[in-house]
Amino acid sequence: MAVLIFFSSAFLLSLSVFLFRNKLATRLISLLYALIHIGLTIHSWMNLNSTELIYFTFSSSGVLLLAILSLLTIPTFYHGFVYTAKDDIRKYNIYHASLILLMTFMSGAYLANGMTVLWIFVEATTLAVAALIYHDRTEMALEATWKYVFICSTGIALAYLGILFLGFIYGRGDAANLTFENLSVIIDKANPLYLKIAFLFVLVGFSTKMGLFPMHTVTIDAHSVSPPPVSALISTTLMNVGFLSIFRVYSLFASSPIRSFMNNVLILAGILSLLIAAGYMLKAKHLKRMLAYSSLENMGLVAIATGIGGEGYYAAFLIIVLHSLIKSSLFYQMGQLSRVLHTFKLDDCGRYMALYPAGSLVLITGVICILGIPPSGLFISEIMIFRAMVTGSNWAVLIITFFLLCFVIYAMTTRTMHIVFSDPRSIPDQPQVTSVRAVETVSQFILLGLVVILCFYQPPFLTDIIKSNILTLGSF
Amino acid sequence: MVNYLIVLFSVTLVYFAAAERLIIYIRLLAIQGLLLCGIAVFELNEINTVNLLFIVTETLIIKTLLIPYLLSRIISRSGVSKVHRQATPGFYLLLLSILSLLVSVILAGAMINQYINVIYMAVALYTLLTGLLLIITHKLIISHLIGFLIVENAVFMFSLAIGSRMPALINIGILLDIFVGVLILGFFGLRLKPHTNELTMLKD
Repeated sequence: MAVLIFFSSAFLLSLSVFLFRNKLATRLISLLYALIHIGLTIHSWMNLNSTELIYFTFSSSGVLLLAILSLLTIPTFYHGFVYTAKDDIRKYNIYHASLILLMTFMSGAYLANGMTVLWIFVEATTLAVAALIYHDRTEMALEATWKYVFICSTGIALAYLGILFLGFIYGRGDAANLTFENLSVIIDKANPLYLKIAFLFVLVGFSTKMGLFPMHTVTIDAHSVSPPPVSALISTTLMNVGFLSIFRVYSLFASSPIRSFMNNVLILAGILSLLIAAGYMLKAKHLKRMLAYSSLENMGLVAIATGIGGEGYYAAFLIIVLHSLIKSSLFYQMGQLSRVLHTFKLDDCGRYMALYPAGSLVLITGVICILGIPPSGLFISEIMIFRAMVTGSNWAVLIITFFLLCFVIYAMTTRTMHIVFSDPRSIPDQPQVTSVRAVETVSQFILLGLVVILCFYQPPFLTDIIKSNILTLGSF
Repeated sequence: MVNYLIVLFSVTLVYFAAAERLIIYIRLLAIQGLLLCGIAVFELNEINTVNLLFIVTETLIIKTLLIPYLLSRIISRSGVSKVHRQATPGFYLLLLSILSLLVSVILAGAMINQYINVIYMAVALYTLLTGLLLIITHKLIISHLIGFLIVENAVFMFSLAIGSRMPALINIGILLDIFVGVLILGFFGLRLKPHTNELTMLKD
């Protein structure tokens, strides 16, 4: 019943944003939606593993990611209000209605208990994101939107083929209606070749959402032109949708003979993601693209951690949680940085500390956190990954990962220090105006504060829900 | 009868690799829509009438008429009639296409299943590989669009291969896919770089 109320109210609220044509009404509606979303999260947390409307189950992994989305709803709306403040009412309303739809579709994907329903919600997120990337209506925005819709649709079509392969395993017309639970019963009897092909299709297809190699380019381009609060969602909660889709199939197939094949593929995809992220970050000229490559690096780590197994499973979920908090705060900060410096080109950026100290502190703290330097919670997860590699004697993977992470750390720190303390390398076209209030950084400091707290203390409700996600994988 | 239609469908795929004029691509897509309609009518003998009518409309009106019409408009607007000169030459593409066909046949043979028709599986895989080949080896936006539409046809073929009753959820999935395809064509195809049909702005 709660799911039905959530979906119907979300669609009604999204529609009413168009109808009211008033910015204050839009703000109130968005706030109401955020409260409803938080209500759904609380309800789902209290009713773990129960099923509603046949197609939705409050699984622990879905609820964990739903909680992260709930946490980010209010800051995302707030920064969206600031970003779109000067837009005309039509653009303003399209933005917020699409944002509500995007959050609703992502929630649907988290809670879906079958592959086809999951796929439908993932495809729907592409349409909502497209409207948001195109928000500024520039030629570059059009090109980025085109690339996003095109590559995502092709990728998701491939993922759909993977789902159809699951149908071939079952061999019945209603195979697509089967839930993950029902499919898990027949996986052991399936032809391993079918499973391998299905896994590869699903991995490549949903990589468009997770931002993982080989479909990473789609999110990189989208980041460079989309509004910063939208980048915050693309880089965190939407990537989490991709991760969850892949992880669900991985968990489903884990009891089959192809487990080691899946592990090797994930490790390979992870290392290649890290390699590309490190290479491009070293020559990055655009700040938001650099952050996008940082997301690629983190998703690469998640893939490696999942492939390594053991403690790695826990570390993967911890990275997902922490990366969402850190990267969203960094992208929110990009909105303020662009209003102070009027550019994302690294050569034109500089003296940020002098112009906007609060923003500079967010930037420095955020970069420290995203690089996994203590007191960042990511430090704990990276230690866990390295420990899992040592335990599993994956020495080659350990050395390569460590080596590539050094490049990432060098690239990000030098560029951040340049933005914060150095003078711009070239003289910017527009005069620099510091009219941004320090209070706008409050939500970013809160999110980063949570990341620091999680380095020293992980509350039982978090550790329990992560452990229940990986219980069936027999690891922790 | 279905087998003849499937073989005919695979012939259109070979033709895709050899053709260099965009108008040929559009005609081939229209023919594929028609063939898919025929395959669906003969194959889905256990489906209810409403669902079958829906699929026939989907293939005849959207795949055979609407999509080729939109593509023709994009071509006449851009004035680009042939594939990009930097695209892989037709001869090599034909070789790659035949290689894809071989790979598809071998893979389909290795995946023998009591529920699956091997010819379906081989042609569906071949359709998928042809679509991806077109996307990878061509430079123009319109070629990428056509590649995407071929991948969509592959999805349709796979969903037909799953059995004689197309489940409602799969139907919704395919409908959503087609909706995205039409959206891409109608919205982006007509706006993006109408004169050069190339993408250049976003790069590192």
